Amino acid sequence: MLEVKKLNVFYGKLQILWDLSMQVGNESVGIFGPNGAGKTTLIHAILGLVKPATGEIILEGESLLAMETDHIIKQGISIVPQDRELFPFMTVAENLRTGNAYIPRARKKYKERLEYVLTMFPILKERLDQPAGSMSGGQQRMVAIGRALMADPKVLILDEPSGGLQPSIVTEVFHRLKEIKNDVSILVTEQNVRQCLKAIDRGYILENGRIAMADTAANLAGNDHIRKSYLGI
Amino acid sequence: MINSIVNQFKQRNFLFGFILILAAIILIGIYKPAVLVEGLQRSALYALIALPMALLLGIVDIINLAHGEFMMVGAYFAYFMSAQFGMDPIVSVLPALLIFFIFGLIVYYLTFKHIIGKPPLNQLLLGFGISLILSEGMTAIATNAPRKLSLDYVSSSASIGGVTFGTFEFVYVAGALIVLLGMQLLLKKTATGQAAVAVGQNPRGARVVGINVNNIYLLIFCVSIALISAIGPLFMTRYTLFPQMGSSFTLKSFSLVAVGGMGSITGVVYAALILGMGETLVLSSLKYGKWAEIIYFALIIGVIMYRSHQRQVK
Repeated sequence: MLEVKKLNVFYGKLQILWDLSMQVGNESVGIFGPNGAGKTTLIHAILGLVKPATGEIILEGESLLAMETDHIIKQGISIVPQDRELFPFMTVAENLRTGNAYIPRARKKYKERLEYVLTMFPILKERLDQPAGSMSGGQQRMVAIGRALMADPKVLILDEPSGGLQPSIVTEVFHRLKEIKNDVSILVTEQNVRQCLKAIDRGYILENGRIAMADTAANLAGNDHIRKSYLGI
Repeated sequence: MINSIVNQFKQRNFLFGFILILAAIILIGIYKPAVLVEGLQRSALYALIALPMALLLGIVDIINLAHGEFMMVGAYFAYFMSAQFGMDPIVSVLPALLIFFIFGLIVYYLTFKHIIGKPPLNQLLLGFGISLILSEGMTAIATNAPRKLSLDYVSSSASIGGVTFGTFEFVYVAGALIVLLGMQLLLKKTATGQAAVAVGQNPRGARVVGINVNNIYLLIFCVSIALISAIGPLFMTRYTLFPQMGSSFTLKSFSLVAVGGMGSITGVVYAALILGMGETLVLSSLKYGKWAEIIYFALIIGVIMYRSHQRQVK
């Protein structure tokens, strides 16, 4: 579905990603790595926010490289940004609507998508009229995931979904991810490797801008290097 | 629960403010009925001029310090259309809308496009530069000589209950209502308007939901320039033109947007109402008429002090 081939990305003269190749099929895939490994740069490249020097990014056979971000989103990639990037003065309902209103393919299914999101996150149902900016961090994360799902994406990207959340909310978020992965392909970058490995099918280890390892979640959880470096065992 | 209480409090606060303004207007109406009518007309003119800035600055966060100069250029456009082709200034509002939409497009591509998302100082300097180019350019074309059209219909008047007032100025009231209604419809009922609100609140968030942020900036900029330039012809029917007339309206519009609350279109109208009524009331006094300008500063200082107090309370 989503394929990244031999991607090289620079910030000025500094190379961030080196010949990076990876793919996401009908599954959930994690990208793990320390700060500065290039996880967010990879996401920015997929979304067209950073233009790669060489390489290819393909969604269902169509190259995304020449497209602007809004076109890429319309093609079927949705993102839950690390900082959530909600519209703070809009209500939850309005935030959810913006996730749907600019995607022609999803717009026709507005009611269906809203019902799906509210079933996934029942707490949002009670807070539809509340300004998003007045909600707690965990609830805002749910709104951000809900807004991304309103676009009926083919691939849902989550950038550090557990960042800044209390442990109970992190568990809740990953629990929801397990349910969502039945309906949409997921690409998630995360530093909370332990929790994330329980929720995904496959994972890549990104170190210094290169793929250092790729395996199933079960194998990664049992790998000595991963256990020592990322799980603290 | 807490949010519901906060919302109720805000609604009550808003209602209280509205009732206060309404009560003041009624009192003025009883005390000096002519002031009520003239104040309404003046307020409407201020609102009309400030609303396009409210769209640009309040909704999508673009500071255009050449706002008043665009109105000045629009006013001169109507003046020359009238002088050369005999076109009535009211009629020239329509071609002005179209021509200055395209003019806005050119200005945006040449200038503002390159500084969107950059620190606000860039926008301030750019706007200041454009305002100088427009006013000095107009001086070169039309000289500094004040110009005024002689139009019979602007001096029409009516009397009700012994109070005589000008009727033509109600064109500003009608204009302000049309622009206010049009903006509310655009922002609340159209996907493009909602996109503009989203871009204003969070451009990065807007980009990731599939909004073409650059197109929204372009469209709102052009609409704002078209509107303020098309208000120029209405303005020049009643007032004298000179190339430096724009800057004071830029400042007043800027202040009205700040006082009304960034992002609040109706707030700008309330602020214009307070400013217009206050100025007219002071102007009506033979003894203190020259103090009218102080209303503008008192309004800004009052709102800054109130907001600062509110922040401390929070």
